[in-house]
Amino acid sequence: MKNYNKFTSYLYILPAFLLVFLLLLVPMFQNIYYSFFKWDGISKPIFIGIGNYFQLFKDLNFLTSFLNTIIWVVFTLIFPVFGGLLIAVFLRGIKFGNFFKSIFYIPITISFVATGIIWNYMYSREIGILNTFFSLFGLDKISWLTNVPLNTFALLITWTWQQLGVNMVLFLMGLTSIPVEQTEAAMVEGANKWQVFIHVIFPMLRPITTVVIVMATANSFKVFDLIYVMTRGGPHRSSETLAVTMFRETFTMSNMGYGAAISVVLSIIVVAISAVYLKNMLKKDLLYY
Amino acid sequence: MGIIKKILTYIILILLALAWLLPVFAIIQAALKTPEQFNNSSFFEFPNKVAIVENFKMAIQRWKLHEFFLNSLIYAVTGGIITIIAASMAGFSLVRLKPRFNFILFLIIYSGTLFPFQMYLIPLYKIFNQVGLYDTKIGMILVYSALCIPFSLFVYRGFYVTIPKEIEDAAMIDGCNSFQLYTKIFLPQSLAPTAVVALFQMTWIWNDLLFGMVLTRTGNARPVMVSLASMSGVGGGIIPYIMTGVIFTSLPTIILFILLRKYFISGMVLSMAGE
Repeated sequence: MKNYNKFTSYLYILPAFLLVFLLLLVPMFQNIYYSFFKWDGISKPIFIGIGNYFQLFKDLNFLTSFLNTIIWVVFTLIFPVFGGLLIAVFLRGIKFGNFFKSIFYIPITISFVATGIIWNYMYSREIGILNTFFSLFGLDKISWLTNVPLNTFALLITWTWQQLGVNMVLFLMGLTSIPVEQTEAAMVEGANKWQVFIHVIFPMLRPITTVVIVMATANSFKVFDLIYVMTRGGPHRSSETLAVTMFRETFTMSNMGYGAAISVVLSIIVVAISAVYLKNMLKKDLLYY
Repeated sequence: MGIIKKILTYIILILLALAWLLPVFAIIQAALKTPEQFNNSSFFEFPNKVAIVENFKMAIQRWKLHEFFLNSLIYAVTGGIITIIAASMAGFSLVRLKPRFNFILFLIIYSGTLFPFQMYLIPLYKIFNQVGLYDTKIGMILVYSALCIPFSLFVYRGFYVTIPKEIEDAAMIDGCNSFQLYTKIFLPQSLAPTAVVALFQMTWIWNDLLFGMVLTRTGNARPVMVSLASMSGVGGGIIPYIMTGVIFTSLPTIILFILLRKYFISGMVLSMAGE
């Protein structure tokens, strides 16, 4: 077999490698380095070791943000993920299933910014659609986005509107790969639908469920656009999550070193979560060799 | 019993579907009304004349949406093309030319998808200011390409390992060099991975807010989502104009989804290949 020139083989990889190395990897290490400094972005950085990381535990804003992020993760697993699974199960094999599917799918095609703007209008106190509907029943106007903690849950409803479709599609894909004979056999043996779901469908869905949960968890840790557009993290920093807090500390308040430390903490969490699924991926990947 | 359950299922689904459609209906309705009618009528009144064209003109005039739209179009197309070329070349080499350390090289590039974007913001902001890439189109194209390459490489690499080796052997007997092998054998078969990359990565570039906010300042380089986000200031702004802006700026991704919808599932499957 002919051997291709070894030097050329690296040449093909060079553009991709250079772009990623210079614009992502080098900055990443620089960012870790910055996180050990007190630095406003203009004057000379002062080395403070892990001072920024200690500061995090004493910073009420950070702790609020951390708590909010946990709320986002838990809520994401319940509504867009478990809700997506339920709807997928409902839609399986019913008439007009595809019609319903495409409705839940619509929000996937638009950006978080567009979604946020649309829902700002939905939630608006004076002209908002939700309050208009509520006033039909004689209910008072609600300030959805300025009441704490209602604002975080209002954001999460919007998040569900946007994210449920993706999870539903993934679960539907998993469901269609389960042979009908298997569920029918269980029915014949006298299992009811709920038992079939718990003992037959759910175990077979497990691989896909794991991936959906990992992806949804990692995504809810990273959420930024939606919150930034809808509340800017406010009022009084009450609806911030880690990504928003990092942005605010860094670019609004010029605490660059502190912002870098927050992004490092966020990265550690996200990478730790993704590790579950990366391990599987790499195991499978090594089969190529 | 079965019938009642079935009816109940449908009622729940229909209610949910209506809830999902309500925001869509609300933007279309608001975009059709004139600002005067919007202010003086309730949500339940239909538009008395179709004002979306005038609303669109105002959105263009006041917020210069078309300039930012053009910027993002340049980013999505150029960034998409650079990504497709760089990632498919690298994938080809890793799979077929197999240089030493190919797996490590793959891991190094792929690690670019692991970290949250916040990890890159501060150094990029600083470096771009130092080397004069801040607030330039070239700077944005470079960043977007770099961010798109890791996932795209993963897609191409995963696809190329499935191309049978016999085809390559036949090509080698014919005396193909590596560049001909790439352009004549691998590229023509790359429609599926390229569609996945185009759909996911161009949509991502188009929808980006974060890097646009941090790395640009003026209309010269600002991407469209940053300008859209600035349309709805405190107090809500003029809703019919804003909703027209939302529709206008969402059109490219909606069209891309409709054209490439069958690749959405395969892309999702690929991006969760760990399963």
